Amino acid sequence: MSFLPTFLLALIAALPMGWALWAAASQALDVSAWQALWADPQTLRAWGMTLWTGLASTVLVWWTVARLLAHGFIRQQLARWLTHVPALLATPHAAMAIGLVLWLSPSGWALRLVSPGLSGFDAPPPWLTTQDPWGLGLILALWLKEVPFLLWVAATQLQREDLRRRWQAEFALAQTLGHTPATAFAQVVWPQLAPRLRWPLLAVLAYGLTVVDMALIIGPATPPTLAVLAWQWLGDADAAMQAQGAAAAGWLTGTLLLAGVLTVMALRVVAAMRKFASRGSLPQSQTTDREGWLPQKTPTWVSYFCRRLPLQPNVMWTTILTTYAAVWFALTVGSVSGVWPFPQLWPSLWTGDAWAQVIASAPTVWTTLGLAAASASVCLVWSVAWLELTPRRWQQALRPWWLLPLVLPSVLWVVGLYSVALQWRLEGQWLGLLLAHAVMVLPYVLLALEPAYLAVDPRQSAVVASLGQSRWTDLLRIKWPLLKRAIASAWAVGFAVSVAQYLPTLYVGAGRFATVTTEAVTLASGAQRSLMSAYAALQMLLPVLAFALAAYLGRPRQFEKIGSMKDNT
Amino acid sequence: MNAGLQIDIERLGTAAQTLVQDLHLHVPAGEILTLMGPSGCGKSSVLAATAGTLASVSEGLQPLQFDGRVQLNGRDLTTLPTHLRGVGLVFQDALLFAHMTVAENLLFAVPRTLPLAQRQARVQQALQEAELSGMGERDPSTLSGGQRARVALMRALLAEPQALLLDEPFSKLDAALRAQLRPWVFAHVRERRIPVVLVTHDEQDVADPQRVLHLRATEESPHHV
Repeated sequence: MSFLPTFLLALIAALPMGWALWAAASQALDVSAWQALWADPQTLRAWGMTLWTGLASTVLVWWTVARLLAHGFIRQQLARWLTHVPALLATPHAAMAIGLVLWLSPSGWALRLVSPGLSGFDAPPPWLTTQDPWGLGLILALWLKEVPFLLWVAATQLQREDLRRRWQAEFALAQTLGHTPATAFAQVVWPQLAPRLRWPLLAVLAYGLTVVDMALIIGPATPPTLAVLAWQWLGDADAAMQAQGAAAAGWLTGTLLLAGVLTVMALRVVAAMRKFASRGSLPQSQTTDREGWLPQKTPTWVSYFCRRLPLQPNVMWTTILTTYAAVWFALTVGSVSGVWPFPQLWPSLWTGDAWAQVIASAPTVWTTLGLAAASASVCLVWSVAWLELTPRRWQQALRPWWLLPLVLPSVLWVVGLYSVALQWRLEGQWLGLLLAHAVMVLPYVLLALEPAYLAVDPRQSAVVASLGQSRWTDLLRIKWPLLKRAIASAWAVGFAVSVAQYLPTLYVGAGRFATVTTEAVTLASGAQRSLMSAYAALQMLLPVLAFALAAYLGRPRQFEKIGSMKDNT
Repeated sequence: MNAGLQIDIERLGTAAQTLVQDLHLHVPAGEILTLMGPSGCGKSSVLAATAGTLASVSEGLQPLQFDGRVQLNGRDLTTLPTHLRGVGLVFQDALLFAHMTVAENLLFAVPRTLPLAQRQARVQQALQEAELSGMGERDPSTLSGGQRARVALMRALLAEPQALLLDEPFSKLDAALRAQLRPWVFAHVRERRIPVVLVTHDEQDVADPQRVLHLRATEESPHHV
């Protein structure tokens, strides 16, 4: 009975995805293109840069999130931190990169703050502070964006009523056995939580290794990362160069798969080592390091010094929040700045010209809004239908498949999706663009909706049915209203992901459609600071509005306040 | 034996494991049958098979298969969907709908064939019977455990079921509260003159010592009640 809907829903989603992957694979396996790829002097260095930035940022993100979670769980600060996370998540990657450039570039605010007084500079120094050849700017930007993402995914697990209760009980129990809070967390909660973060971590790794929009803005230029190089080749007029780009996308995918396998193996090894190390160890006394991140035999002076480094979770979290606030501030001020000669802290001329220009380009904004709303809605309807109609076994079996857009490089997807659009005669059309966006948005919407949807007690529907109410009554009056918060926020997540899409918009849209993101990224290489800032600010503002709308629609019901007279019968 | 609830189970279990075999029971109207047994013996699955909610029990595990027949007052329920069976269900958790007030929870159960004024009158009456007059507008999460349990039972009864299944309805309450609630629940369900099946693992919950059936972990010998 459930076979037909399962089959149809799977087909609807798998057909474009499978077709795109097949098309991309067949293009990426062109022998002459691979020869050209290896003959190109940039390839190897670009690949090295990709490995460095992708792996370094992923390791940093994992380490940071592990420490934040330990601290947040032990001190019960997670809930407080998480109130800020939606705003951080809603900040698109490109806007973050542009905001960082406004601070860190030679003519940026960081240097203006100390010029000419402390630095002695009257003109911007010829430094490579943003597109630095070591990729440090890119690593910083990735770290800032991915830490909130991974923290948020972890929090959705920790906020599941069943898990939260069980883990808190086990955590308390471990302490009654004589373990410090830090070891209780590290040996009881973390080993259960970490495997659940494996997929999101792979998404972080995939993003770090294959990001294009951020790398175009803040990443190194000579050579750029391999993803950027592939993107540049794909945009070349020469068909041979395009084939070389497709081959590079294939190489990037292979790299990613290998790195993913190695990451999973590394996590297993670390977990096994932890188990081995804890075997037979006596409970530690309460006097040892409270956070448990320094080795046991650290000399006192070293741990004293380390404690004063800005590595405490609270300090790290505050740093992240401050940086986001600084980025938002820079984008806002930048968007209304006119003439702004170098050492001056503030613009000498304020102007609304950039915003007037943005408003004049209303079609760009409408395209962005329409695409985001449509793709989020399509994916939401599909996800709800999938979670409601298909058996749990099938959901689990096919889950990795739906998450593929998260973990395979977007350069590979655009190659495939463009072929699909060509073959279905949708290239350069709104419908083709919608399809491309929907494929990229789907995993996020599904991931955002799934925990809440599956946490619904199945006995609830049994009760509704036993009251003589039909399934539709259950869905419309009980189940979906109770899930409205999760549904609304899943839609907003999809909306935000669509707004931030750069490659599919440009490539599958055949350059005929401009969105605030394509405008912002394109302007980032130019000199129109105010217009670039305005588009970047708008790119950030639209998802924020979507999240605000979702929060309003998903707000819990306010019951009449009645005095706390409870009888105990 | 047309009147009452007749449950005939040839086999109930997953493909790999049989939970209940050759169980035949009859509950006349106005009587309460107590089904007892250790956890995992399949007593809740018997209720799920009767109510037609096996899918909600087996979610995520091996699907449960039911081979047998359920009849209520001569009507064969076996292939009917739950909402057409007229079989009420109360769990150990009250499962009140969190987005509705207490009164709205009750109103949701009253058949919509009646005019609204009459439906609301029934809700008010139910509130009174549950000793919750004036609490209709409350958020269900502000009620005590005992109050919630009473609302859950009233909600089930307002739907005018022709049979009622109680799945460990007292197991989340403390001993004193159970002792108070038991006679109240039994009096209310007997008043309706419908067959009732109560599942429990606590001897003290037994409603009628004349009508008790013990299930063992895996059943070999046939039962007839």
